[in-house]
Amino acid sequence: MNIKISPKELAEKLTMAGLEVVSLEEAGRDFVFEIEITSNRPDWLSILGVAREIGAVTGEKLKIPAFKEPKIKAEELKPVKISILNKKDCSFYSARVICEVRVGPSPLWLKERLELLGCRSVNNIVDITNYILFELGHPLHAFDLDLLAGKEIVVRRAKAGEKMVTLDNQPRLLGNDILIIADKDKPQAIAGIIGGKDAEVTAKTRNILLESAVFNPVLIRRARQKLGMQTESAYRFERGVNLETAKVASLAAQELICKLAFGKPCGYKSSTLPKSSGALINLEPEYVNRILGTNIPALKIKKILSGLGFDSKIRSKNRLVVKVPGFRQDVSLPIDLVEEVARIYGYTEIAQTLPAIKLNASIGGKKDIVSYIKNVLIGLGLHEAITYSLVDRDLLAKSGIKQGVQPVEILNPLSKEQEVLRPTLLPSLIRCLTYNLDQQQEYVNIFEIADVFSGGADVAQHPALSDRPVRASAQGRLHESLSLSIALCGRRSFLTGQGLIKDEVTVLHLKGILESLFNKLGIKDYDFRDQGDRGIGIFVSQQEAGIMLNLNKKVLDAFDIKNKQVILAEIDLEKIYSFISLGRQFSDLPRYPAITRDISFVVKAGISIKDLLAAITAKGQPLLRLVEVVDYYQGKQIPEGCKGLTVSCVYRADDRTLTEEEISLLHNSICSLLEERFSIKLR
Amino acid sequence: MDINLIQTQIEADLINVNSLQALEELRIKYLGRRGLIAELTGSIPKLAVEERGSFGKEVNALKNRLLNLLNDKEKSLAGDSLKPGNVDIDIGMPGIAPVLGTAHPITRVIDEICSIFSHMGFCVLEGPEVETEHNNFTGLNIPLEHPSRDAFDTFYLKNYPDLLLRSHTSPVQVRTMKKHKPPLAIVVPGRVYRPDAVDASHLFMFHQIEGFLVDENVRFSDLKGVLSSFLKSVFSSDIKMRFRPHFFPFTEPSAEVDISCLICKGKGCSACGRKGWLEILGAGMIHPNVFKQVNYDTRKYTGFAFGMGIERIAMLKYGINDIRLFFENDLRFLKQF
Repeated sequence: MNIKISPKELAEKLTMAGLEVVSLEEAGRDFVFEIEITSNRPDWLSILGVAREIGAVTGEKLKIPAFKEPKIKAEELKPVKISILNKKDCSFYSARVICEVRVGPSPLWLKERLELLGCRSVNNIVDITNYILFELGHPLHAFDLDLLAGKEIVVRRAKAGEKMVTLDNQPRLLGNDILIIADKDKPQAIAGIIGGKDAEVTAKTRNILLESAVFNPVLIRRARQKLGMQTESAYRFERGVNLETAKVASLAAQELICKLAFGKPCGYKSSTLPKSSGALINLEPEYVNRILGTNIPALKIKKILSGLGFDSKIRSKNRLVVKVPGFRQDVSLPIDLVEEVARIYGYTEIAQTLPAIKLNASIGGKKDIVSYIKNVLIGLGLHEAITYSLVDRDLLAKSGIKQGVQPVEILNPLSKEQEVLRPTLLPSLIRCLTYNLDQQQEYVNIFEIADVFSGGADVAQHPALSDRPVRASAQGRLHESLSLSIALCGRRSFLTGQGLIKDEVTVLHLKGILESLFNKLGIKDYDFRDQGDRGIGIFVSQQEAGIMLNLNKKVLDAFDIKNKQVILAEIDLEKIYSFISLGRQFSDLPRYPAITRDISFVVKAGISIKDLLAAITAKGQPLLRLVEVVDYYQGKQIPEGCKGLTVSCVYRADDRTLTEEEISLLHNSICSLLEERFSIKLR
Repeated sequence: MDINLIQTQIEADLINVNSLQALEELRIKYLGRRGLIAELTGSIPKLAVEERGSFGKEVNALKNRLLNLLNDKEKSLAGDSLKPGNVDIDIGMPGIAPVLGTAHPITRVIDEICSIFSHMGFCVLEGPEVETEHNNFTGLNIPLEHPSRDAFDTFYLKNYPDLLLRSHTSPVQVRTMKKHKPPLAIVVPGRVYRPDAVDASHLFMFHQIEGFLVDENVRFSDLKGVLSSFLKSVFSSDIKMRFRPHFFPFTEPSAEVDISCLICKGKGCSACGRKGWLEILGAGMIHPNVFKQVNYDTRKYTGFAFGMGIERIAMLKYGINDIRLFFENDLRFLKQF
């Protein structure tokens, strides 16, 4: 082929046609193109295939040499026997006998070319088979004919326990899922992957058997995966080779062997050929243009396809009949041809248009509400973390958080860090928190929202999750759900008008964050209940939706956290979704002023403030509109085992301005109630 | 003393007054117990009787005019004093405010991308991270035993033979199309997993955004138009975009989409490997075999799909050079966003 453009321009053209030139290097008089070949194009794994593409993108004519089958005199013919046990494993096998070869080093040009391709020179025979592999894309193999027992080829599956040593000097244990090339007695090559040591072509070799075959790609793939190896040959076979090239490659190699190693053709034998089926595809130019948004004329389409080796006839104004060449096994549908036309026409030439997108309001996910939750938490000063969903088992154990479910294990982890899918976000957040403490952070306040996973027979399918995968299997079920976790630790410090305040976080800080979140989410019925060893249960609509924890000393020690409290919460978001309500109902602004009265008192530490506030609320109806703790203190003036509280009561009526007298009466009765029922001492 | 002269003098004095304190001093000077007006009033008894009446009236008038002038000045000064410069505080001191948290940079990028597509009319959906082999592979025209699967190394689950961790967000295409009929315009952000050794540019978990549009008459040119608008929006309006042919089993024609290098503007630098282009996403027309799997009429419907890695976009946008930083969650890193 006569290429008139510079290597750099050529690289650019190839890249834009789908053969991405990863690097271009000058090597003496040659240029080495390193090209990334996509897995659908085994035909590009050869000089010929790339040259064909260059022809299509540059319009230059590709000249392919023709090879002739030599005539062999009857007395020189050396018979070989080929048997293929299963045609599905090997659809074509051919053996060429070439005698009296002189095995020796390859000529310099051949050595150099192979070297540029990254292939080590062995001897002229092996080099020629490799050269043809790169030139035409079809892997070949040469056996020392005299070392094949019975001068016979058997293409069969290996027997269980059968062994051989391959060309790389590795002993290989074979099995029934591995296709081999055997002689009368034993394996001589692993079909399509690598040859065997026993019948290797060496300096002593005089007569060779040259194999060119078509093997089942899936079989080759399985075998090389099982053997844990990759070879140039296997790479091509598992992507698919074709019959026509198999035949040409065998002839081309023979010609070179005769020329460079002075061999003499002494016979050719092949298994019965399957009929080559040149598929025909009906292609409508209108279809091409409808998919691409172009207006490419039928004639241009025909020309592009012909440049790629597809012959086509225009059958009518709106139909082309396209014949698929043997080397294009990837093409079987009209859409495959559309891509071919688009590639050569040039993606760049296709206009940019904007589609009319029809709105579909019925489809929507949870992202909006999750974003809303994130924004509330960020507004409350928390930093969002993203940690790995895969964790090591040790981390779960170290965190000591009981989930009561089996973690889901990964079958093929690459390292310990990828062992299990986490059933809770907490261990990851503890680790992240520890990391930040190690970086001398005084205050760590982070959250994460991510899916957690649990397995085991007792995992129930949540009714809200019909869309999520909860699947039965022999071992049990698997549950995936969205979880929110928060972790706090250390002292937060902030400026006020009076200067710096340092505040050690407690469970109450986390409670405050969750209350703010629930309020913003319109969740009214929530509660925090002490669950003993398990921590503090977070209840939404009387159902436990999550847990708050203060990490115990054992876990703190395991993470080497000293003199600090770690406060954690985790909420199963699936359990609160149905109670979220971002709608609001406006209530009229009060028309009459409110009167606020505070009660400051000392109360014994064991008294439940929740009960106390509930009692005030009940007693104060209907005028008491709001009651809240506005201050609390422990210190010198407060007796041991007690705490001081200030509770603020807001009184208001909708139809009149309240008088001091009626409020005093009500407020005093509340105070008396507190004294009687909760033994408070007013201050 | 000339009464008119006093008026001129006070007007001149007032111009130079720019604080309430100076105004007060001026008031004392003229209207104080020993001020000029008092002095004038005090001089009345010394005058001839017939002059006293008219002089007294003039002094009174002057006093009223002065009062008005001083009042006006006071009003204007009081208004000025709302300027912070007049408040007794050092504005160089730190401001006082509650401290806000931060969204993870990955979340920021996902939100930005979803918002761009939402504006175009796309809906945002999620899908589960544990997927079936069918949705992750076969339903997407990726045959079970073919080299095209090598690009998608996958984590499988022990004890759940047909389940895996999705290796891309594309299974949500299959999931959505099984459930809904076209027209569909969807983007799907989410976590994906591939067994990979961790280094500065590889992780076993990362984020992708998948997008797809299915309707009658969706064309490759539409894909180019949508992605061009998107990329200009997410990066900058002066970037160039190019479509390169590529292979993905679930789209045909397929393309890899490059943008001109953000650092060298296409001239070639170390960031883009001297190419001038950065590979940014994969895209193509949804393969008819994918439609067949979900019983869509391939004569009637066409569609495009695209997918991109969020970490890569975040790294380019924010100049982050090590992908591991995203999941280390160092607060010194997070607080920069």
